[in-house]
Amino acid sequence: MQKYGMYLGCNIPFKAPDIEQSFRKVFPALGVELEDLQGASCCPAWGTAPSFDMDTWCAISSRNIVLAEEKELDLMTGCNSCFGVLSEAKHFIEDNPERKKRVNEKLQAIERRFEGSAGVYHVSHVLHEKVGTDRIRQGLTYSLEGLKAAIQPGCHVLWPSDVYQVKEKNPFFPTILKELTQALGAEVPHYSRLEYCCGMGGMRTTDVEKSLGLFTDKILSIKEEIDPDFIVTTCSSCFLQFDMSQPILKERGVIDFTIPVFYYTQVLALALGFDPSHVAAISQTPRDAVIAEIQSEKRKIQK
Amino acid sequence: MSEYIKLESDKISEGVKTIMDLGGHGLLRCVQCGACSAVCPGVKAGFPVLCRMLIKKILDGQLEEIIEDSSSWGCQACNRCTEVCPQGVRPQEVVFAFRRYQANDLAFSTSAITSQMNLHAYGHAVFTDARELRAKVGLPPEAPTSAYNEKAQKEIQTLLDNSPMGELGIF
Ligand code: SF4
Ligand code: SF4
Repeated sequence: MQKYGMYLGCNIPFKAPDIEQSFRKVFPALGVELEDLQGASCCPAWGTAPSFDMDTWCAISSRNIVLAEEKELDLMTGCNSCFGVLSEAKHFIEDNPERKKRVNEKLQAIERRFEGSAGVYHVSHVLHEKVGTDRIRQGLTYSLEGLKAAIQPGCHVLWPSDVYQVKEKNPFFPTILKELTQALGAEVPHYSRLEYCCGMGGMRTTDVEKSLGLFTDKILSIKEEIDPDFIVTTCSSCFLQFDMSQPILKERGVIDFTIPVFYYTQVLALALGFDPSHVAAISQTPRDAVIAEIQSEKRKIQK
Repeated sequence: MSEYIKLESDKISEGVKTIMDLGGHGLLRCVQCGACSAVCPGVKAGFPVLCRMLIKKILDGQLEEIIEDSSSWGCQACNRCTEVCPQGVRPQEVVFAFRRYQANDLAFSTSAITSQMNLHAYGHAVFTDARELRAKVGLPPEAPTSAYNEKAQKEIQTLLDNSPMGELGIF
């Protein structure tokens, strides 16, 4: 059985623990063991240490990577921002022997040492590269055939492609999440703003109206061009933006619809037959109807 | 033109050096083509001093003039700019170097303070007491992270206290 050090970040364990629960159900069911990285911290988020001091950023990030290293495991994160921050920190350390020395001096004070042996992967990479779409297809209890999904891969698994362990052939036309979603049976049409930013992150804390403006373009593009049954993302930040912002825009009369949103492993968990009250229980944008549709009797795959 | 910019070479070299030292190494390679700005969500959303424009202002020696501008804090760190830059400038690194220049002068919004304090106290920039929510979805109420691990919190505090961030007095 393959095994990964599960790096949770902040959003998932504290704001969307049903996503965490979906990891804990889905991966063992597909032959991947997860081991908790006890005591892991924030990646640290872009607005904290990376905005103040590179060595401090690299020290905090490398401590998280070291937790995987100490168990001789690769690290897997469910949050795109964490994936970006940890991957870039690793790149900045390995790119510069002087920095590596300084970071290890900092780590010495907490009795740790960074070697760089643990790889940094994202949930979507492990599912696509290590598990594979065939294995996903074989494990399904329900088929999503006839349902239409809009995908939102999120920025930080795409760019800068030169520092990532797994990358898209063309990051401006990403296909990993598309193939993962098609493996569930769903139809995944292209829409023009596929790789556009959703406006979460630093932009939302700095200027919420600018952030919502960007999000409005994106959600209208999705609705008008493909009118999907649901949206699926592999970024916890994008998930929160899509989930929190649609009710706000609806309330303001900017949109007259809402589209259910899932983190990919949540739809996967539903298709594998897991209990929605564990794996897809928390959302502001209603999604009960599509959950019931996914797990309806008529979608059961005869084995 | 409503306003002339007086270029002073000492001021320019000093500004460029400051940003390069803070991590914006590729700055001088910029040819002002604007490819970065064309793909930048921050520019699209209306932040005026990002990507090409930020680099231009630094190259014009206007570092002090823009220290209060909030554009850099609207940067998503998405790195679209890095991917498309034909010159290998890595504009996102310049934006973050500029942020560090601002942050070390405490030129950022007070809303950013909460996440620094959370990071110091719990090891998490985003933290809420989610014990009930976690139990509801069948998880152990306390996540296996630094949030409920005193030793881990001490380690994070040691790293932060012994850093330039510690010297700013925000913890
Ligand atoms: S793409 Fe590169 S060279 Fe062109 S303006 Fe931006 S930073 Fe300068
Ligand atoms: S990293 Fe920042 S500056 Fe570069 S494209 Fe993204 S938002 Fe714009």
